[in-house]
Amino acid sequence: MDMSFSAEEELFREEVRTWLGEHLVGDFARLRGRGGLGDMDAFVEERIAWEQELGRGGWTGLAWSKESGGRGASLVEQVIFLEEYARSRAPGRAGHIGEGLLGPTVAAFGTDAQKARFLAPILAGTEIWCQGYSEPNAGSDLAALQTRAVRDGDNWVIDGQKVWTSLAMVSQWCFVLARTGAGSSRHEGISCLLVRMDQPGVRVVPIRQMTGNAEFAEVFFDGATTPVDHVVGPVDGGWKVAMHTLAHERGASTLGQQADFTNELRALVQVAKDNGAANDPGIRDRLAELWMRLKVMRLTALRTLSAHDRGELPREAMITKLFWATWHRDLGELAMDVLGPDAAVLREGHDHDLHRLFLWTRSDTIYAGTNEIQKNLIAQRALGMPR
Amino acid sequence: MRFSFTEEQRQMRDALRSSLTESCPSGRVRAAWKTPDAALRIELAEQGILAINLPEDAGGLGLGAQDWVLLAEELGLVAAPVNLIETLATNPTLAAIGALDLASQVGTGAEFVALEEPGGFALDADKAAGILAVRDGRVGWLRDATLIAETSVDGTRRPFKVDGRFEAVDADATDLLDRAALVAAAELVGLSRRMLDLAVEYSKSRRQFGKPIGSFQAVQHHLVDALQRIAFAAPAVYRAAWSVDTNHPNRSVHVSMAKVYASEAALFTGRKALQVHGAIGYTFEYDLHMWMKRAWTLSSAWGDVRHHTDRVGQFVMSGGQDA
Ligand SMILES: Cc1cc2nc3c(=O)[nH]c(=O)nc-3n(C[C@H](O)[C@H](O)[C@H](O)COP(=O)(O)OP(=O)(O)OC[C@H]3O[C@@H](n4cnc5c(N)ncnc54)[C@H](O)[C@@H]3O)c2cc1C
Repeated sequence: MDMSFSAEEELFREEVRTWLGEHLVGDFARLRGRGGLGDMDAFVEERIAWEQELGRGGWTGLAWSKESGGRGASLVEQVIFLEEYARSRAPGRAGHIGEGLLGPTVAAFGTDAQKARFLAPILAGTEIWCQGYSEPNAGSDLAALQTRAVRDGDNWVIDGQKVWTSLAMVSQWCFVLARTGAGSSRHEGISCLLVRMDQPGVRVVPIRQMTGNAEFAEVFFDGATTPVDHVVGPVDGGWKVAMHTLAHERGASTLGQQADFTNELRALVQVAKDNGAANDPGIRDRLAELWMRLKVMRLTALRTLSAHDRGELPREAMITKLFWATWHRDLGELAMDVLGPDAAVLREGHDHDLHRLFLWTRSDTIYAGTNEIQKNLIAQRALGMPR
Repeated sequence: MRFSFTEEQRQMRDALRSSLTESCPSGRVRAAWKTPDAALRIELAEQGILAINLPEDAGGLGLGAQDWVLLAEELGLVAAPVNLIETLATNPTLAAIGALDLASQVGTGAEFVALEEPGGFALDADKAAGILAVRDGRVGWLRDATLIAETSVDGTRRPFKVDGRFEAVDADATDLLDRAALVAAAELVGLSRRMLDLAVEYSKSRRQFGKPIGSFQAVQHHLVDALQRIAFAAPAVYRAAWSVDTNHPNRSVHVSMAKVYASEAALFTGRKALQVHGAIGYTFEYDLHMWMKRAWTLSSAWGDVRHHTDRVGQFVMSGGQDA
């Protein structure tokens, strides 16, 4: 066991820190601290430019293999990058769905032509992606989806509706789960289609959230088309592909959040000290409790990285989403209790950040698999309990 | 950065697991409620475990917390009726004050050194070659001690209220108590794992409404919540072991975290396991209560959740940095 970083790892940290310090300047400087969860619709153009800056520096696709054009960074290097990224308060990534979800899925299931067409623009930050899974009647029960795609010559023609599609309004592309099989039902006959957003058959209607802004949208497909070769994985065999993507969403790609969480908690401790809430032993205990829970989250993530103990770890890895979602929800609630009576009014500055945090964190236990669904999965897969 | 145990560390764990599976079934724990199990100490001594963290010139293996933490977890798993905490905690203290003869006797199981827990109890003090205690932040022997026997809620434990002439020695009190809390935390993780296993197994076999109760979502979610606590407590314990071994500046904070997490995991898992068992879990005849009672005693000993949360709270509020 060695919980410290090696000299080589520290060198890498220095490289990241230096690069961020040298590039988060000029127009990019004002993006610091913006565009994170709950704020994803802020400075979109500028953040896409930043995505491209990262791409030029070789800092996108860190986790991707070298064949895919990525850096092939080790897991520890990824952690270091994410920690430094958060420490510098660099902006929320506009390209996170492409980099974290679609890219790895294309790399795993795509044809050579698809890899050649789609991976490089994600790395360069020139194409932004959104995820078209959920529908009005298919939330937790994704296999109830109804959007259809019918083959017409060289194209698929798509009809149906997606909902809660994050970043749909700024995306060039959407990966859409649709029914393609004749007599398709439940998990059978679903395909994963890559669909251009700027076409007549696609209409995006932003949905305003509890936070007051709109990060997600309804997406209507009304005779939208995409070429037949834009199916990832087997036609009618897209369920497996979708599950692979979800595993990414619930697993490793959430690691970076912890570094942001650390910033948020640190800021909250400061507010509590400044406004005197920290003198209340109840508040102190809850701050300490959240601090500890955040630390064990990091330890669990670090442990998952150590290949040796793999045999024991899948259980822990499965629990990660449930754990951080609940943590973040609790942080939001504590933030309001730290504000006390001021929690009822909206003001610029610290209070504003805390309100945004509180409101956004109302959604953590819902997206990417609700807490209840996570528990069902863990009971059956980690504990082997009967269905 | 490598957060994993070595091959040897895992082999030692596996070896102990297989020997305890044979030698320490729940019937042996139950028997120790009637008659103290003196033999188990000797069996552990023969496997080198009582001397694991003694220096070689006291007949020990010269190993550290990373080497014993998994072993303590195994002993917790079977609720082994043996006082490992006192021995693993005091061994380095004995070595530090040059009591090598006594230390080597402890390592062979011939002698036992008791340690007064901050709550004021010392287990098996009547059979101890000496009683160590911490008073006003200093370590010392309690000489000419008077003992008042108490009855533990866990029938395998024999606590005494102790008092005596305090004879200070030159040893670090924080290190001593941190080690004790860490052994307790590791045992608590083991206790939790077994209680969860018991409940999962039971939920698969017990049928109501025509199906196994484990297929009911409410039952599943009880046990997932328990698994979650355990899965996140274990890394906190392992990390604290590394911090103790490397004298990390935040080691006490790490130990406190480990103790808080392990205690809460064990208390919570006990409660959930009992609920899932229904009335059978509430009986004296069924094993669960022995694990629960050990968990209750260990979570209140060596600094309870309140005490350790407070220690972490002070660190956090003072702006302490911890990677
Ligand atoms: C901020 C945000 C961003 C999102 N972004 C995207 C996106 O980009 N792309 C996308 O495709 N989707 C997105 N979603 C949608 C998200 O995946 C769904 O909200 C989620 O899967 C839950 O579905 P639902 O909202 O329809 O709730 P429902 O499935 O209707 O659930 C309602 C309640 O019932 C419970 N429930 C349902 N089934 C069970 C069961 N079997 N056992 C126990 N309880 C159950 C749920 O846990 C929940 O409490 C986003 C959602 C949010 C909040």
